Amino acid sequence: MMVMERSLKYLDERLGTASLARKTLRKVFPDHWSFLLGEIALFCLVVLVFTGTFLTFFYNPSVKEVIYDGPYDPLRGATVSAAFDSVLRLSFEVRAGLLMRQTHHWAALVFVAAIVIHLCRVFFTGAFRRPRELNWLVGILLLFLALGEGFTGYSLPDDLLSGIGLRIFYSVTLAIPVIGTWATYLLFGGEFPAGDIISRLFVFHVMLLPALLLGLVGAHMAILVLQKHTQFVGPGRTERNVVGKRLWPEQTFKSVSLLLFTTAVLALLGGIAQINPIWQYGPFEPFNVTSPAQPDWYIGFLDGALRLGPPWDLNLFGFTISEVFWPAVLFPGIAFGILTLWPWIERRFSKDQAEHHLLDRPRDAPVRTGIGAAGLTVFFIMFMEGGNDIFGVLLNISVETITQILQWGLLVAPLLTFLVTYWMCKSLGRTRLRPAQINAGVRLSRNTSGGYEVASLEPASEELEPSSK
Amino acid sequence: MSDSDQQGSERVDVDPQQEHGPTDRQLTDDQRKAGRSAGIAFAVTIVCGVGLFVVYFSGGQNQLEGILFAVALGGLGVGVGIWANRLLDAREVVEERHELTSGPAGRQAFGDALSAEVGPVLGRRSMLVKLLAGAGGALGLALLLPVLSLGPAPGNTLKVTPWARGKRVVDEEGELVTLDSVPEDGFLTVFPEGSEGAADAQALLIHVRPGSLKLPADRLAAVPEGTHVAYSKICTHAGCPVGLYRAENQSLLCPCHQSQFDVADGAKPFFGPAARPLPQLPLGVGEDGVLVAQGDFYDPVGPAFWDMNRGKR
Amino acid sequence: MRRTAILLAGIAVLALLLTPATGTATSRGAGVAAQQQPSDSPALHARGLQLYQNACASCHGPNPNGPSYYPRVPALKDTGGAAAVDWALRTGRMPWKDNKGPAIERGEPRFNEEDIRALVVYIGTAVGDAQLPQVDPAQGDLQRGRDLYGQACAACHGMNGAGAALGGENIAVSLQNVEPQDVAEAIKIGPGQMPVGGGLTDYEFGTASSTEEVNDIARYVESLRTDPYNKGGAPIGGKGPVPEGFVAWVIGLGVLVLAARWIAGRG
Repeated sequence: MMVMERSLKYLDERLGTASLARKTLRKVFPDHWSFLLGEIALFCLVVLVFTGTFLTFFYNPSVKEVIYDGPYDPLRGATVSAAFDSVLRLSFEVRAGLLMRQTHHWAALVFVAAIVIHLCRVFFTGAFRRPRELNWLVGILLLFLALGEGFTGYSLPDDLLSGIGLRIFYSVTLAIPVIGTWATYLLFGGEFPAGDIISRLFVFHVMLLPALLLGLVGAHMAILVLQKHTQFVGPGRTERNVVGKRLWPEQTFKSVSLLLFTTAVLALLGGIAQINPIWQYGPFEPFNVTSPAQPDWYIGFLDGALRLGPPWDLNLFGFTISEVFWPAVLFPGIAFGILTLWPWIERRFSKDQAEHHLLDRPRDAPVRTGIGAAGLTVFFIMFMEGGNDIFGVLLNISVETITQILQWGLLVAPLLTFLVTYWMCKSLGRTRLRPAQINAGVRLSRNTSGGYEVASLEPASEELEPSSK
Repeated sequence: MSDSDQQGSERVDVDPQQEHGPTDRQLTDDQRKAGRSAGIAFAVTIVCGVGLFVVYFSGGQNQLEGILFAVALGGLGVGVGIWANRLLDAREVVEERHELTSGPAGRQAFGDALSAEVGPVLGRRSMLVKLLAGAGGALGLALLLPVLSLGPAPGNTLKVTPWARGKRVVDEEGELVTLDSVPEDGFLTVFPEGSEGAADAQALLIHVRPGSLKLPADRLAAVPEGTHVAYSKICTHAGCPVGLYRAENQSLLCPCHQSQFDVADGAKPFFGPAARPLPQLPLGVGEDGVLVAQGDFYDPVGPAFWDMNRGKR
Repeated sequence: MRRTAILLAGIAVLALLLTPATGTATSRGAGVAAQQQPSDSPALHARGLQLYQNACASCHGPNPNGPSYYPRVPALKDTGGAAAVDWALRTGRMPWKDNKGPAIERGEPRFNEEDIRALVVYIGTAVGDAQLPQVDPAQGDLQRGRDLYGQACAACHGMNGAGAALGGENIAVSLQNVEPQDVAEAIKIGPGQMPVGGGLTDYEFGTASSTEEVNDIARYVESLRTDPYNKGGAPIGGKGPVPEGFVAWVIGLGVLVLAARWIAGRG
């Protein structure tokens, strides 16, 4: 205790930390389980940074050919790249290395999943509205960076499966009109498979993207603290206050608990669920291929879009627009463009310029909810198509049939989803499933004479708030 | 302490009950129970932590490590979670939101601070400012130039492969491929001699059933015996190796996006997203039945790109 | 309490789903009796003829060397001789279970070993191709086998032998539980959509170099189920990123959302 007091005094006299820290400790955050979804993503990132740092100590980003002589029998004596060799070594020869690698990979999958579901929460509750448009932008950038981190990391082991993925990515950049060829050669260092790509991916994966990612996570949270968290409608909650628990001790304890759970689940998956067994796929050879060939789930929609895409290439004045352009360049460009600009698109139609700190329930904004559900349907259909050969074998349906069904589904299902969701929101909005939210801020109380009187909640909250009298 | 009242109250609004309450008061039954549960959870963590030591030093085992680590962390998580929800003196608190904007006066003050002391020369239209912007632009562009060092100019590299007239056909080990190398209904991945394993040169040599090819006469002339036809192995859609040969249908399937190509009909796509046929490789027969290329592929191999149909190959 | 129960149930399901499936990796008795050359004893021949007339002739025609009764049923003289008969009978693909769908599916063998031998000898002799491939994975080279498998087989069957959809009703079967003899016979006959020779260079049935290559591949295929280094835990079907993604969403994120609900309390 003495030591703590002394160091506190030392720091406070030099940095004035005590009052700042105290203010921070007393910040109020509203309680709702859905507000913890972003925290799950944050804690996945923590796990990613720690396991990733461990992996970096053993990984060798080089395509130099070496002879594998480790303990994995089927590959002993095979010529593999130094990168592939180092990943096998850290999987089989470094104690706890495989646990770290698998946990890292699972953390990446759950990281993006948590970002997506957090994004859904923010979207469907209207939390992106003024004044939080900028934090929406930061969040979208974080999603893109997470996708970039995922894809570059997936490709680093230089195994057969990821090599195929890299080949497709190369073909997609090649399909960009006008600058495609040049951009591809600058990015890859030449015609596929140019030798530099692995070391470049490594720089992206462990330096450029993480630096941006961590910086933007900081900005994301700084803006959140500055603007204070949104809250759901409820007794005593208004546009001008935040009702919840303090950062210390309640929220801190809760967050630490969630951090521990996140790490536990990821470690458990890393320990008992095999992921990306690159030793089975073997080293990348540009002329070999393995089936089924899929990317990790968060790129799955793009793979599915490529499978669904129409075989239409276009010749204009002797120049060619690839059939890959429509599903893999134009579609994501439009879809992510809409997503990025959504706060401004919505405002254009709603004409709503006001500040909002109270959240909508999804039913409160039927059009937004409908559009969001339709968008999710599009991505879900594409993801399913990305695994059409897997589901085909599972359900005993041919891949051609699945593809045709999903092509029609892509045209029909989003519209249907929109209409059904819109109708559901409308009819839910007419019911009074949560009366408390209709009479927000007003409460009846028994008075001394046995009657009832309307009691505003404001006095009650005053009693809770440490006064500044 | 010369703080004004306002500041003082902001800094030291101590709520005596909150700061000292919990320790003084009696624990409720529920809290006692919760404390016991949390204690058990922490004990589980201790046991698993010791277990991790044992596993690590006895050689390590992925599953055990994962399970022990997960249970240890989970135990801690449960304990802290119980603590958070049932042992803390948790109370709902209301905090007022502050105005986010600094208001017009604040913005004005900021503008003044920005322009004060900069001097009269730097009006927005002044020559000096224009030159400064120009200097910044020129330097910025110059600094972008090293980006061009990241890769070679594409030139026509995407349009040509190592195949050329007279190149003998080999498999990936470099062994010469003859008419007898592939049984009927069989297939083989082949390369030009000296470029074994070259990504853009990979081709599939397929021994089709006699009389099944429906090619134009000049293309059929480049198919030895009318049965040994060779196509680029790179999918014209997204570049995956089209390695799945369905002998019964005489068709090729790309495992990545399921484009399907009819081998008998010039490898034209008949299902899936690919738009162009797999380019054919003209073959002939040399000494001892060894297959020899008559030239490069008829068309650029692989996925489409902007200028694939422009200029000379 | 209810939430805790849900959480615990979730964890239990997770544990059940993901327990390392080491139990399935038991190696079966290698090889089958049909590996020996079919001898030409008259009794065996007669038994084969009898079985053929009972079980096969109604589709494949009264004479194995003649045409079949239906256009979609292949004449046995074109299918690959004794190796094809042995392969189809041992893997239970024949006799045909029902007449729906063109693909013949693997199943339990309908005949005992002795009867299979009798049919193999009878039909093999009748079509003039009575040779069964000789395969001995123990003589194969694992590394070379992996190499050849990667070049020839992996495109359809997958590097880990999990199998894949081939379009239409065609499926490249999983090789994770097949016998070495199946591998050798399939390479010789090219069943269904599989190319004869399976994509090996200069494959010719019976030559020393082809037999050696087949041994190598059989050795690798065998290693897919006995591989002691197949670490990392439950393979979730060995089908790669799609099932992995489902596990990440349903089990990974699912458990964490339940945890978040528990932690947030009644918020």
